[in-house]
Amino acid sequence: MAAKILAGVDIGNSSTEVAIASVEGDHAHFLSQHLVRTTGIKGTTDNVKGIRLALQEAAKKAAIELKDIDLIRLNDAVPVIGDLAMDLISETIITESSMIGHNPDTPGGAGLGVGTTVLIDQLLDVEEKERGYIAVIPKPFDYEWVAHRLNQAESDGISVTGAIVQKDDGVLIHNRLNKKIPIVDEVSLIEKVPLLKLAAIEVALPGHVIRTLSNPYGLSTVFQLDPDQTIQIALVAKALVGNRSAVVIRTPQGEVVERKIEAGRVILIGSKNQQLEVSINDGAEAIMNMYEKLEELVDVQGETGTNVGGMFNGLRHDLAELTGQALNEIKISDFLAVDAVIPTSISGSMAGELSMESGVALASMVKTDKVPVQRVARLLEKEVGIAVEIGGVEAEMAILGALTTPGTRKPIVIIDMGGGSTDAAMMNEAGKIISSHLAGAGDMVTMLINSELALGDKELAEKIKKYPLGKVLSIFHMQLEDGTILFSEAPFPPDTFGKVVIREEKDLTPLSNKASMEKIREIRRSAKRRVFVTNALRALKRVVPTGNLKRLSFVVMVGGSALDFEIPQMLTEELGKYGIVAGFANIRGTEGPRNAVATGLVLSSVRQEVLK
Amino acid sequence: MTSTTFSIEMKLTEIGTAAKGTNPREVIVAIAPAFGKEMNKTIVKVDHASVLREILSGIEEQGAVPRVIRSLRTADLAFMAHGAAQMSGSGISIGLQSRGTIVIHQRDLDPLSNLELFPQSPLITLEMYREIGRNAAMYAIGESPNPVLVVNDEMTRPKYQAAAALLYLKECQSLVPDQKPVELKAEFLIKD
Repeated sequence: MAAKILAGVDIGNSSTEVAIASVEGDHAHFLSQHLVRTTGIKGTTDNVKGIRLALQEAAKKAAIELKDIDLIRLNDAVPVIGDLAMDLISETIITESSMIGHNPDTPGGAGLGVGTTVLIDQLLDVEEKERGYIAVIPKPFDYEWVAHRLNQAESDGISVTGAIVQKDDGVLIHNRLNKKIPIVDEVSLIEKVPLLKLAAIEVALPGHVIRTLSNPYGLSTVFQLDPDQTIQIALVAKALVGNRSAVVIRTPQGEVVERKIEAGRVILIGSKNQQLEVSINDGAEAIMNMYEKLEELVDVQGETGTNVGGMFNGLRHDLAELTGQALNEIKISDFLAVDAVIPTSISGSMAGELSMESGVALASMVKTDKVPVQRVARLLEKEVGIAVEIGGVEAEMAILGALTTPGTRKPIVIIDMGGGSTDAAMMNEAGKIISSHLAGAGDMVTMLINSELALGDKELAEKIKKYPLGKVLSIFHMQLEDGTILFSEAPFPPDTFGKVVIREEKDLTPLSNKASMEKIREIRRSAKRRVFVTNALRALKRVVPTGNLKRLSFVVMVGGSALDFEIPQMLTEELGKYGIVAGFANIRGTEGPRNAVATGLVLSSVRQEVLK
Repeated sequence: MTSTTFSIEMKLTEIGTAAKGTNPREVIVAIAPAFGKEMNKTIVKVDHASVLREILSGIEEQGAVPRVIRSLRTADLAFMAHGAAQMSGSGISIGLQSRGTIVIHQRDLDPLSNLELFPQSPLITLEMYREIGRNAAMYAIGESPNPVLVVNDEMTRPKYQAAAALLYLKECQSLVPDQKPVELKAEFLIKD
């Protein structure tokens, strides 16, 4: 029997993969493989362009002509589409400006000062000289003159205990003073500072944080508060924790409130008219726990007129647009809720203070009508002039491919971690396959990183997700994430000098964010853990008949996110607790976690021939 | 007295040949041969005194130590700054021409490379000079500042190119061949 040349083509959300094999009887010999970016949305005829390119490249690698291929097998794409949303559930509001707690790079001096706020040009006219004053210095005043004024006030016997400055002049003024006082600078909205009110100012030494004003009892001592007032002011203290400098001004009505936004309730609708409700304010864990109580999810709704209602409506709208289905036909078949921290500027603040508010991120997914792969197949057939057939279900193909990993056998579970969804499939000894599709994967991690680092740049967040970090210490030295120092032969580019950089394969991308390398790393890792570890466990419970993870032995990770430099290790560690052998696949012993479906497509046709 | 109501006078006193610095917190500002001497205003007629004071203030505010030298053998921005970087204790320097063009340089870079360059001198404001001083100081103490926003206006070229060339030629008349840079003491007097 003559050898046939077969090509397996896997169209994914982000990449299109091809495997070419020569098949003789029931034996397949793989010749080459190639990967390109998917052109257009998965399952549309735009894909053909990418497939052609991939086939040509793979054929070139195998040293054959494109027309030598006898049969192309396409995967039957899973008809699920996912989307993401995120919103706040708490908010801090300053009702009347009464506090400035911010971290200018360079405040002046150090220590604590208590006094009455007074404008700098009225300082010399005050009547009670010994009372203690805090000078308020708006932009038009030059530091040299201010320092001169403050020195004059001191020699006149006026006690000045601190200064609040609008410009970045703190150190300049401080250097020119005869009697040193704490100075907070870069207070952008200084005109909001109430005058002739009792205020306290505190600046800590570099590397330290303020201690008195961030302590409720420190504040009660400074302002002589009674217990009830102390309770009220505790939130001010809380908001100032971790700052290097702060000002608190006592105004009669001023207060800081942490308001819980009525974020609304999630309504989970199950089969048999089962309906469960859970408030978003309870956090992601409570929501996911409630979800587990449900046998089977039919749809999810958000309470109308609330944040969560808006989120689910937005998701529905996006998904309807993507799938071309009517809005009311969209049923959410799975969702994942994850706690998120969202830096938000405090309304009513004077120096652009940020507060870390809590929020919830949601990934959800809908089943759509069958994705028209047939159309893609027909067009491809016409364009390349080679017979095209549609192979089996994606999950089955992926398992067949994954089984080529050395050291695996049935029963086996695969976790396919992509960009839009996490899919799991289990094959038992008899070859029967159960599969499950879950919302939330790589794109959700990107969204979390983007918002928690306040990047506002998806591409950059994507890079942070994909590559390890480093900090360029000098033109030849870089500190890596684990603390080791790398000495470079060639000098680093000047724009990376002193910065935290993303270490891509060839380039270094400097981050303009002020966050330290450790902080960024922690956020990156926690985002991955929150999405992938949660989803892997969820996925496994779905496909294992008894839901008991201890009965599993082999778990193989495939897909783009299995290529990540730390996600597979996180899962190996987590699943190791259940005694499961988990790791990323090595398709055909050479390809790593890539090319599973394309390989499976070729192998499945071999088995068919055997069966014939 | 606010900053709009007073004038600043600058006194630059030469105190001998500039030596290599040892203070790791120092930032050298290398001014061009005619700066504050034969010439006293930038291309957009801002007093040299105000410009230099803002730069030095920016450096001081960040806790670094400014040092001023005058380049005599070259008026070329890149080489002035690169030469000064070799002498700076921190390896960071600022080069400043009389017309206002300014650059932040680092010891280990090639002369024509740089950390931050502001080529369109007519667009640089006093606030930017302060920020440039601040950034240079932050590089010196090992921090990683965000680059100062560079403004760009395509009309500056046709409008100022001739003037810029003339100012450079004028600057070059103050060159002293083969002369090493001199250390300067910069003092500022504020007057109503």
